[in-house]
Amino acid sequence: MTRSTLFMTAVSVLAFGLAAGQASAQERVVNVYNWSDYIDESILADFTKETGIKVVYDVFDSNEILETKLLAGGTGYDVVVPTGTFLARQIQAGVFQKLDKSKLPNISNMWDKIEARTDKYDPGNQYSINYMWGTTGIGYNKAKVKEALGTDQIDSWDVVFKPENIAKLADCGVYMLDAPAEMIPAALNWLGKNPDSKTAEDIEAAQAALEAIRPSIRKFHSSEYINALANGDICLAVGWSGDVFQARDRAAEAKQGVEIAYSIPKEGAQMWFDQMAIPADAPHVAEAHEFLNYIMKPEVIAKASNYVFYANGNKASQKLLDQAVIGDPAVYPDEATTDKLFTTTPPDNKEQRLMTRAWTRVVTGQ
Amino acid sequence: MQKLLSAIASRLVIIVPYAWLLIFFLIPFLIVFKISLSTSAISMPPYTPAFEGIGTWLESARKFTVDNYVWITEDALYAKAYLSSVIIAAVSTVLTLLLGFPLAYGMARAPQSIRPTLLMLVILPFWTSFLIRVYAWIGILKPEGLLNQFLLWTGVISEPLQILNTHTAIFIGIVYSYLPFMVLPIYSTLEKMDYSLIEAAQDLGCPPITAFWKITLPLAIPGILAGCLLVFIPAVGEFVIPDLLGGSRTLMIGKTLWSEFFNNRDWPLASAVAIILLLLLVVPIVLFQNAQARAQEAGK
Amino acid sequence: MKSLGSIRKSFAPWSDPDAKPYIVFRNVTKRFGDFTAVDDLSLTIFEREFFALLGASGCGKSTLLRMLAGFEEPTAGEILLDGQDLRGVPPYRRPVNMMFQSYALFPHMTVEKNIAFGLRQDGMPKPQIAERVAEMLKLVKLEKFARRKPHQLSGGQRQRVALARSVAKRPKVLLLDEPLGALDKKLREETQFELMDLQQDLGLTFVVVTHDQEEAMTMADRIAVMDHGKIKQVATPPEVYEAPSSRFVADFIGNVNLFEGPVSEVDPSGATIRGADGFAIHAANAGTARKDETAWFAIRPEKIRITSQQPEGAGPNSIDGEVWDIAYLGDMTIIHVRLDSGKVIRASMINSARGSDNPLTWGDRAWISFAPDAGVVLTN
Repeated sequence: MTRSTLFMTAVSVLAFGLAAGQASAQERVVNVYNWSDYIDESILADFTKETGIKVVYDVFDSNEILETKLLAGGTGYDVVVPTGTFLARQIQAGVFQKLDKSKLPNISNMWDKIEARTDKYDPGNQYSINYMWGTTGIGYNKAKVKEALGTDQIDSWDVVFKPENIAKLADCGVYMLDAPAEMIPAALNWLGKNPDSKTAEDIEAAQAALEAIRPSIRKFHSSEYINALANGDICLAVGWSGDVFQARDRAAEAKQGVEIAYSIPKEGAQMWFDQMAIPADAPHVAEAHEFLNYIMKPEVIAKASNYVFYANGNKASQKLLDQAVIGDPAVYPDEATTDKLFTTTPPDNKEQRLMTRAWTRVVTGQ
Repeated sequence: MQKLLSAIASRLVIIVPYAWLLIFFLIPFLIVFKISLSTSAISMPPYTPAFEGIGTWLESARKFTVDNYVWITEDALYAKAYLSSVIIAAVSTVLTLLLGFPLAYGMARAPQSIRPTLLMLVILPFWTSFLIRVYAWIGILKPEGLLNQFLLWTGVISEPLQILNTHTAIFIGIVYSYLPFMVLPIYSTLEKMDYSLIEAAQDLGCPPITAFWKITLPLAIPGILAGCLLVFIPAVGEFVIPDLLGGSRTLMIGKTLWSEFFNNRDWPLASAVAIILLLLLVVPIVLFQNAQARAQEAGK
Repeated sequence: MKSLGSIRKSFAPWSDPDAKPYIVFRNVTKRFGDFTAVDDLSLTIFEREFFALLGASGCGKSTLLRMLAGFEEPTAGEILLDGQDLRGVPPYRRPVNMMFQSYALFPHMTVEKNIAFGLRQDGMPKPQIAERVAEMLKLVKLEKFARRKPHQLSGGQRQRVALARSVAKRPKVLLLDEPLGALDKKLREETQFELMDLQQDLGLTFVVVTHDQEEAMTMADRIAVMDHGKIKQVATPPEVYEAPSSRFVADFIGNVNLFEGPVSEVDPSGATIRGADGFAIHAANAGTARKDETAWFAIRPEKIRITSQQPEGAGPNSIDGEVWDIAYLGDMTIIHVRLDSGKVIRASMINSARGSDNPLTWGDRAWISFAPDAGVVLTN
């Protein structure tokens, strides 16, 4: 792995770092790298109490950062949490090791419906287990949207993709994810095409649809909309469910009269899955399995969901969830809505370039 | 023996800067250059050929390709990104100079006793994180931000100005962030300048303004050049400021590089973009060094 | 008192009551905060005069010069140049030029450009500028260095460029701030004469500031000795040397031996001082001394004779002591004689004959003596 050390020097623009601590031989340790604000910390303490394994917990805030570290190798992490689309490529690149299911008896608690979908990224669910999942939908400021559109109920992508509609919201501010892998499928889905299509023709069509609404978009960014929504700076954002919930909670805490809502449009939305996996070069494989098995305990994952307000892929935990979580259709959509949710497969290199290029044109107006 | 030792010691002293350059510039440069000749792949690391050791060097060298460079020249997007980065950086540099020069001049002409305080004030912002300072500008520039509230209150404007997410915000951000890099070198040349030169010019019939153009400004040129380069070069590759303050329409090479590297996972192409950027920046540095050498020739 | 003489015999406008002064300082005061640099000073300088302001650093001489150049405005009083009140006239409109102590050559310009700078500023036509620059380069013998930059010149060459630049515009008055201060001794002596020739040739009025009394003595028509913002004496070099008006001036210019004591007698033949060192001094000129007051007799070392025997027929003005120190300087020998009172007298002898065997040596008894008109009586 000395090669990767040299490599890090080369690409010094990026903040690489070996975050995981070194532990003494006797002490049992597991190095976990998860999204920020994504767990009830008492779960970690409980795990240590039960197993005697110390958790070194580190957080990231973008899949790209995680991926870059994983591809460079030698991270020292034992458990990481990439999103499904990223996971798929990382598996192909040889980043992860297969899970030893004999050490994961709690896997029987998992929800077959979710497993059926994550199978697309991780065939046979050999490399990962689901931690949380959500959707890519519309977050909006209720009062401002009502003022502009006359209703505070958004239920269709028409609001976003019909230029005459979105123009009404342009003045109060519209943000969109700066992520072609999210926005192009969303546009294709609205156009009635296969959201997973990657043909040049379809991508062009999606590009045209997005370019038509480009003048009304104030900014493309994948995280700033949380603050912008919460502060009341904008009235609508296409974003990830969890982020919008975070904005909703922040706005409620601030008590400035800003009320944020999240909608899964009736045409359907993309589903995303955050998967827990073990890197091929993980130093503590046994401990990592113990950690995954612990996370799959119904009472543990229920506690996590109750804390972060996300749906999880654990069927057995559902009876233990708070009503505010299991009863919220934005978190656990009903059957009919769930059927409309779609997933996408990762593009190959050529397709990726095609999508990125189309996206850059949309974003920069070039 | 003593002589030999001191000869070796003096050689070692010369080696240090070269070793530094070799380890922290040349080797990383060669690695990036090598990656730029590779092909992107789904693997670890995500390109091929990966360097497998000295033995297979020749074999992997045969797989090198200039496709990435061809791609960059074929797609007008990159040229546009480079060009727009250079323009944004150049405009910002000029604005920084226009603001920085009077500041440096005022400092250099201030009473000796308060100069350290003024210097301190210029450096003070560095004590907080760069990121936080740029974030603070979001709060100032946004439609409901401090600036708009103030302007509304004074009645200068009746509707909030849309500054955030525009080129103007990028200029403000770059000028603000890089101002000290402009002020400090200019200040140091002006401070070293013998004030009797101005008196001599006046004595020979120059009104103060003419003396400024004929004496102060020409003598401050090394500082101005250094300051401009210190602002221009990082501004060309700037990523954080356009990302946070600029609108999505702003096409800058730093952002293009970021998206090639992170979004497309195309390390080879990102490396090629970086190599070209570096070459683009080497030109002004070489020009500057020439000017420096000439100034040295003319020097004090 | 009649002038003891000047270098230029015919040139002495200061002793002509009808001569019109060229530069006039009238009750000029300059304060920087609490500090008074120039204190109610009045002074006149005449056209074509080579005038030296001499004093220790901080005596106000440079401030006086800078006020003339226009870099400082007087706090009170007025300065006239050729009848024109200079108040409010900025430096760039004054018909004076200055040669700076640091030379202040523009480092980014060649010698040529430096010299042409003031001419261009005046909008002189190009051919004329070229002509004048060539003339100046010839004057300071730097024709070959026209295209050099200041940092490529030696100290002496730089000094000459500064000089050429400051006279290129043919100013009415040339101000020189320590013009030779940065040169080594040999170069300084050469340059002194060059400056004098230049002043003669160009017919300019020179005002030079210096702390070096030798420089002032050599070059100037008149010297103003300054101390604490005031002028102590304005006179020709011989007058300042031979007839200092005060102990300060006597002490500042050259070496001097001072004998203090009460005046016992004042008569037409002079004054007698009862020296505290055990011998009577009879001076041919009583000056302002009055009977029973304390006075000082000042005498230069070269005016004192030293003999191993008591001089014949000596009454007053001689005393013996012990040879304390002998310094052979080549052209002369300095001898220190310690009187029994403990006072050490400095005497110098010209070594007129080669290898003259001086009979005196350390520890010998020796007599010092001087003529009644060899020194002056000072009362302040």
